[in-house]
Amino acid sequence: MSYKTFAAIDVGSYELAMKIYEISTKKGIKEIDHIRHRIELGTDSYFMGKIDSARVDELCRMLNEFTAIMKSYRVDGYRAYGTSAIRESQNRLILLDQIETRTGVKIEVLSNSEQRFLDYKSVASRVKDFQSIIEKSTAFIDIGGGSVQISLFDEDSLVTSQNIRPGVLRMREELARVPYRSYQLEDMVEEMVCDSLESFREMYVGDKKIQNIILVDDYVSLIVQRNYLETIKKGQVSTENFLGFVDSLKKKKTREIAMSLGLAQENISLLYLSALMLKCMIKVLGAEMLWVPGVSLCDGIAYEYAEQNKLLSSDTEGMPHDFEQDILDCARDINRRYHSIEYRTREREMIALTIFDSMEKKHGLSKRDRLLLQLAAILSECGRYISFANIGDSSYNIIIATEIIGLSHVEREILANIVKYATEKFDYYKILDSTASLDRESYLKIAKLTAIIRLSEGLDLSHRGKCNKLKVVNEEDELLLTVETNADMTLEFGLFDRYATFFEEVYNIKPVIRQKKSNI
Amino acid sequence: MGDKNSKIDYSKSEYYYNRELSWLAFNNRVLGEARDRDIPLFERIKFLGITASNLDEFFMVRVASLKDMVNAGYTKKDIAGMTPNEQLEVINKATHELVNMQYAVYNRSLLPQLAQNGLMVVESHEDLTKKDCAFVDRYFQDNVYPVLTPMAVDSSRPFPLIRNKSLNLGALVSRKEVKGRRHLFNKKSVHGKEVEFATVQVPSVLPRIVQLPEMPSGTKRVILLEQIIERNMDKLFLNYNIECSFPFRIMRNADFSLEEEETEDLLKEIEKQLKKRQWGEAIRLEVEEGIETRLLDIIKKELMIDERDIYSIPGALDLTFLMKMYGLDGFAHLKNRPYTPQPVPEIEAGDDIFEKIREQDILLHHPYQTFAPVVDFIKQAAKDPQVLAIKQTLYRVSGNSPIIAALAQAAENGKQVSVLVELKARFDEENNIVWAKKLEKAGCHVIYGLVGLKTHCKITLVVRREEEGIRRYVHLGTGNYNDATAKLYTDLGILTCNEAIGEDATAVFNMLSGYSEPLGWNHLALAPLWLKDRFLYLINREKSNAMEKRPARIVAKMNSLCDQDIIKALYEAAAKGVKIQLIVRGICCLRTGVEGTNDNIEVRSIVGNFLEHARIFYFENAGNSELYMASADWMPRNLERRVEILFPVLNAELKEKVWHVLEVQLDDTQKAQFLQADGSYHKIDSKDKETHNAQEEFCREYEALSIKKEKAEQQARTFKPEYNQTIQN
Repeated sequence: MSYKTFAAIDVGSYELAMKIYEISTKKGIKEIDHIRHRIELGTDSYFMGKIDSARVDELCRMLNEFTAIMKSYRVDGYRAYGTSAIRESQNRLILLDQIETRTGVKIEVLSNSEQRFLDYKSVASRVKDFQSIIEKSTAFIDIGGGSVQISLFDEDSLVTSQNIRPGVLRMREELARVPYRSYQLEDMVEEMVCDSLESFREMYVGDKKIQNIILVDDYVSLIVQRNYLETIKKGQVSTENFLGFVDSLKKKKTREIAMSLGLAQENISLLYLSALMLKCMIKVLGAEMLWVPGVSLCDGIAYEYAEQNKLLSSDTEGMPHDFEQDILDCARDINRRYHSIEYRTREREMIALTIFDSMEKKHGLSKRDRLLLQLAAILSECGRYISFANIGDSSYNIIIATEIIGLSHVEREILANIVKYATEKFDYYKILDSTASLDRESYLKIAKLTAIIRLSEGLDLSHRGKCNKLKVVNEEDELLLTVETNADMTLEFGLFDRYATFFEEVYNIKPVIRQKKSNI
Repeated sequence: MGDKNSKIDYSKSEYYYNRELSWLAFNNRVLGEARDRDIPLFERIKFLGITASNLDEFFMVRVASLKDMVNAGYTKKDIAGMTPNEQLEVINKATHELVNMQYAVYNRSLLPQLAQNGLMVVESHEDLTKKDCAFVDRYFQDNVYPVLTPMAVDSSRPFPLIRNKSLNLGALVSRKEVKGRRHLFNKKSVHGKEVEFATVQVPSVLPRIVQLPEMPSGTKRVILLEQIIERNMDKLFLNYNIECSFPFRIMRNADFSLEEEETEDLLKEIEKQLKKRQWGEAIRLEVEEGIETRLLDIIKKELMIDERDIYSIPGALDLTFLMKMYGLDGFAHLKNRPYTPQPVPEIEAGDDIFEKIREQDILLHHPYQTFAPVVDFIKQAAKDPQVLAIKQTLYRVSGNSPIIAALAQAAENGKQVSVLVELKARFDEENNIVWAKKLEKAGCHVIYGLVGLKTHCKITLVVRREEEGIRRYVHLGTGNYNDATAKLYTDLGILTCNEAIGEDATAVFNMLSGYSEPLGWNHLALAPLWLKDRFLYLINREKSNAMEKRPARIVAKMNSLCDQDIIKALYEAAAKGVKIQLIVRGICCLRTGVEGTNDNIEVRSIVGNFLEHARIFYFENAGNSELYMASADWMPRNLERRVEILFPVLNAELKEKVWHVLEVQLDDTQKAQFLQADGSYHKIDSKDKETHNAQEEFCREYEALSIKKEKAEQQARTFKPEYNQTIQN
């Protein structure tokens, strides 16, 4: 059979969902089943810090049912991801172990940025007009149970991606502690949401007008997909229509809304809060058009699986969009925020990547590691904003505190360590001692990539663009770095050893610098 | 016109019929078939038997429910503006009239005609000849006596449980004088004579009809079991004189309600409630006309039954035995020609059913066409190694269901089999519990229904892993997965592998398994969440079309119509000019000739040899017509308290076929009865005109189709020599 059957499981804040897909190079990704079960894990973990044992029982029971369904479809593979509810649960390690023992299902926990990146990938892979939408200024809003992610696009590039709290379930639980009358609800939501939004607008949007909002959520999407709102075409609604819909909800009782929208009453509070949150965002950002593709995290998980297993041909990918570029754009946005000078980091990127590519057979690193190296080169100077003297530590702290869409928490730690040790003495034990999330493999990755970053730093000490033309040849025990330039390289030659030693130590290859002067 | 009509409030009670009276009118139409001299005699007795069985169910459920309301002090009016008590009063009057009519037909018309045609029903054991007496006494001794349990009433033995729907003989007995013997029974001193009450149930395990030795003339004679027992009562109560004995029958409240939310094991709870059904409040007592007053007083008092609920029957009680009598051998000439369901041309015996479905969607029209493809669909799926899963809903299944056997086989073959067996299907609860346990034992995943809802939809999903990917095959129908009733009920079904319908079917089973609803539906509409809105939308769309002078018409066929919101929407649509033709077999709370509707609504009811059961809905939609079929009627219970499915007929060829079904029914001039403004139903006066009988028409059409196919196959098997035309000439 020329296709694979894959199951994506999303252990979300208020819902456990599984989608079964058929993936083939010929037909792409086709959803064949979607099973959802409401279970508010977030209510426990956001407010009690742990997921209660009754809910764990329920979760295990459902996962066992999911396993039976996967078996009935004879799936070739599955991935189960937990999001903020599990991430924020203090007992998550025990919880995950218990779940695996009782159900055989291994749940991996996504960092917020990974999760949002998958949501975002699913939209980009499913929405035909995605590329043309983001050519105009567009806010990609992903309303989750715990938080909301807002990513801003302009002229086809990702400008920034920020995580704002609370999400819809967290907000409902917080509001439950406040005695209020129903007419006050909208104002309270506005007060809770608008403050962060206005700062966001101030920092990233300015006077520019946001034209589109792409929405990923569970409730507003539900009613748009069911055509309860007048659409321009499938999944596209004018914001004016949407605001009218929200006002109409205000006048109705929960039961009435449930009946008219064909939803269970238990969903209405979260639908209404989602709608009010979105209303605030439309008001603050001033968008005219709302795009609601009705995709979910599972779609992103399937896309990721297909991509990693090379199950998509260029014809079926339907993916003109470059996701790696989004991650890089995000890093450049951080650089801009911390006033790094772009031309300097561009040169560093070029040198580091040239060295990396020339050593493909020696370093044993992946394409993803190449991306980490490039990000490290970009972010290598962001710490200057805080301290010129202590640039390594400062950069480390900035990276650790800043979400970079598309990177997992572990990757962010690796990145921060590479940037830190690019300028500081590599401490063999401190790295492993400092965190529980880095394993031996990550440690080696940090060492290998730090060695390359240091070497590129050594070639670009003066940041005068001397290494514009660099040729790297990897010989048996030497790495020959030939710089074609007529500039004075005395400084680089003089201090080269300081930067090359660590490289030699890691790779057991001696870097050798040479200058080739061009004929004038 | 428009303005005036838009002011009419169509929700007023004056625009609706009471549903119970409408049901009684339906039973009267069935009785009309029993009275119809143009119908073969044995068909007429069958119809009379059906009216009796219908009436029993009506009492056990509807009348019982109204009595519950009255007992609870509930006074809310129904859509026709009647309180439960008012309804009971009119029902009582109408039922007495109906029963009188039943027995008038039985005594004055059917019994004499049966006798003329060689079947004599000996109504009383007193009419037996000496030779016959010897025969029945022997029969009693050998077959009946061993299973009888005479029951007595005395201080240590309270009045016995008289089981629901059972036929009994009640007797007053007086003690033969035997020295030194104490009285056993309750003593009643009436007219100076001490009598006691005793009773015996006519056993339901024995045939009610007993054939007497044939007469030399060839006339067959039968006697009812209760007459044989009555003749031999003295053998049951030795040492006692039988002062009098009369048959009596009671109906009990069988409408149990479940506290489902609080029930941990639905299966056990239903089993428990079923037992209780035998003890429900007595709501109707039938006694033989002329019953001894003393005897009646005892029964009346012990059962605590109102005078108005006593029916004095001028003949044999419980006419449902007539349905058994229909099966007597030797009277084929007094019955309709038996019809054999025809094969479905698209599927031949031995065909790969999945391949055939891949070629095209297939429409099944039962009972004109055989139900075998539906059974084969499951049977083939059970054996097919490519099949991953089979999912099905079961509401009422036959006694020895081949579908159940196939599902069990599938589970044993390692398929994932999920079956929703509706344990709450009224009067089929016990049967369904047996199936559910059997399926579970075979390894099927059995769901016993949903809390607070009855799953009435008829859907089967077969998931198959094929070369090109997973493909879903779906059967959607208007009738139950019951191979026995599929020979009697007219229903429609579709076999399809349409991808969008397959997706929806998957979502239906996910919801039935307790998972959350899907984000959206492609084609199906489900009750109780979406179906009513969908129907209202479709009706209102016709209204808007009519207002804008676009073609607007609704043709809807169903079993019952009593949902107020739907009726109101129909009135409003008719008032705006939508032509509405309704084919409603049973209850219809909608009135015709309502002010402002301009006679745009026409209602007909077809009662024929087969039970009209299909639900079909046609909407003209400004020339872009849409046709749907469903498991649901336009009743609140279907739209609000059951899981039902409305599915569209998408394929143009199938759409034409389904439309033809409606057209033929609309052309019926023989069996169709039209609802009049006064609530009565009348047939078209077709004197000297060509008449059309829709059911007969379908039988002819499908038979002709089979013959045509057979001929074509015959021709294909004959070699055709080709000649050189020039030489021949």
